[in-house]
Amino acid sequence: MKDKLLGLLPYLCILVLIPGVIAGGVLLFPDRSYAWIALSVAILSFLPLVVRFEQKRRAVQELVVLAVLSALSALSRVMFVWIPSIKPSAAVIIIVAIYLGKEAGFIVGSMTALISNFYFGQGLWTPFQMISWGLVGFLAGILANPLRRHMVLLLIYGFVAGFVYSMVMDLWSVLWMDNALNLSRYFSTVLLSMTVTVKYAISNVIFLIPSWFLGRILGRLQTKYGLFPKKKKACPGN
Amino acid sequence: MEDQELTLPAPSAGFAFASFHPAALLCYFLGVLLIAMFSLNPGIALISALGGLLFSASLQRPGVFWGSIGYLLPLSLLIAAVNPLFNYNGATPLFHLNGKPYTLESLLYGVLIAVTLIAVFCWFRCYSLILTEDKFLFLFGRILPQISLILTAALRFIPLFQKQYQKVRAAQKGMGIYSAKRFSDRFRAEIRVFSSILVWSLEHAIQTADSMKARGYGSGKRGHFGIFHFTLRDGLLIGMTVLLVAISLVAMGVGALDISFFPAIQPAPPSFLSVISYFCYSFLCFTPFVYEIKEKLKWKFFISSI
Repeated sequence: MKDKLLGLLPYLCILVLIPGVIAGGVLLFPDRSYAWIALSVAILSFLPLVVRFEQKRRAVQELVVLAVLSALSALSRVMFVWIPSIKPSAAVIIIVAIYLGKEAGFIVGSMTALISNFYFGQGLWTPFQMISWGLVGFLAGILANPLRRHMVLLLIYGFVAGFVYSMVMDLWSVLWMDNALNLSRYFSTVLLSMTVTVKYAISNVIFLIPSWFLGRILGRLQTKYGLFPKKKKACPGN
Repeated sequence: MEDQELTLPAPSAGFAFASFHPAALLCYFLGVLLIAMFSLNPGIALISALGGLLFSASLQRPGVFWGSIGYLLPLSLLIAAVNPLFNYNGATPLFHLNGKPYTLESLLYGVLIAVTLIAVFCWFRCYSLILTEDKFLFLFGRILPQISLILTAALRFIPLFQKQYQKVRAAQKGMGIYSAKRFSDRFRAEIRVFSSILVWSLEHAIQTADSMKARGYGSGKRGHFGIFHFTLRDGLLIGMTVLLVAISLVAMGVGALDISFFPAIQPAPPSFLSVISYFCYSFLCFTPFVYEIKEKLKWKFFISSI
C-alpha cells in the first residue's frame, strides 16, 4: 500500500503539486512569482527521481559505493583548491554516471552539492546546485553509450555541462533580483562570470582526459562484485 | 594552501535555540525564509535583515561575524548601485548615463533587493549553524532511508579519506615522486594520489558493506538513533511560527503589504492588517535572538551567584 502510494507520487507531483504551487505562488507573491516558481519547481522536480531511487531496494554494497563516490567528489573540490575555480567534481559525476548508470549519476551529483555545502555553507543555491549537478549526471547516464565510445563526445559533454551549469546558476540570480528575465542583466551577469565559467568548463575537459583510469576502476568493480547490473534484474544480495 | 582541510562547523550544542526539536527548527526557518524571500516590502525586508543580523551575531564569534559582514556589505552596495543600469523604469531620473536615465526608483528597488539579500544570507548562516547535519539526517532518515544512508556514510568517509589523502601524499613526497615545481607535474601527482585514494576507498566501501550485511543490515526494520524529544515547547514554536506566518501571508495575499516601485513609489496605504503583520513578523524574527540572549544571561547570572 505504502509502495503504491509512493509510486503515484511522481504523477501527483507533476500533475497536481507543481501547477498548484505555481498558482499559489502567483496569487500570494505576485511581485516575486518568478523566484518562487523557480525555487519550488527546482525542489519539487527532485521528488520523482528520489522516490524512484528509494522504491528499488538496493544491495548495501551499491549504497556504500555511492556514498564513497559522493564523498570523493565533494572532497575533490578541496583537493584541487590550489588552482582557483577548477574542480574535478563534475568530471567525477559524469564518469560515475557513464559507468554506473543514470540514477547513480543523479544521486552522486546531487549528494556532492549537498555534502560540500554542509562544509561551505547551505544557501539558496543548494537546491539549484543539487538539481543541476544531478541532471548533469542523469543526462550523462542516458548518453552513456556514445560518451563511452567516443572520447571527443565525452569532452564536449563536459565542456557544455560546465557552461550550462554556470548559466543556470546565473539565470536563478537574475530571476531572483528582477522577478523577470531582464535580458540585459542576464547577459552582463553571464559576461561577468565568463572567465570563471570558461575555466570551469575547461577544467571539466582536463579532468575528463585522465578519466579512463576511473572508468577502468569502476568497470572492474562492476564485474567483480556484480554491482549496478546493466540489465534490469534483481539486485544481488539483500 | 598545502594542507587544506574540510571541517564541519562546530556542533550546535552550545546554542540555546538549537535545543529545540529539529522539526520545530526546520519549520521555524522555513517560515521566516518564506516571508523574507518572497515578500517585496521594505518593512518586512528590514525586519528580517535586522533579526537575521542580530541572531547570527549572537551565534558567531565577533571576528567571524564582522568578516562575513565585510564581505556582504560591499556586495549588496554594488547590487543596489548597479540596479538602475539594467532597469530604466522610474519617474525621477537622477542623471543620465550613456543616454539612459539612472532613476531614483530603480536605485531604491536595488537597495530593497540588497537588504533582502543580506537577510536571506544571515538566516541561511543561522540555519547552517543551528540545523547541523545530524539533525538534517534525523529529519529525513525515516522518509528516505537509502539516501540518508548514503549521506551518513559519505559524511563519515570525508574525514577518513582526508587522513588517507594526507598519508598517501606524504608517502609520495617521501619517495620523491611528488613534484610541485611545474604545474603539469603537480597536476599529474595529484591525479595519482586521487586514483590511489579512489581504489583504496572503494575497497574500503566493499568491506564496510560486507560487514554491514554480516551484522544484519536490511534484515529487518531499521532503527534510528535520536536524542531529540518532541516536547510542549517544540509544539509551541511550531504553532507560533504557523500562526505568525499565516497572518503575514494573508496580509500579502490581500495586498496590504504591496508596494509598487515603477513608475513612482506607491506603497499600499497603512492598514490594520499591515501593522499587525509587521508586528507579527518582527515577533517571529526577533524570538531566537531574544531567546539566545536570555539563556546566555541566565547562564552568566547562574555562575556568578554561586
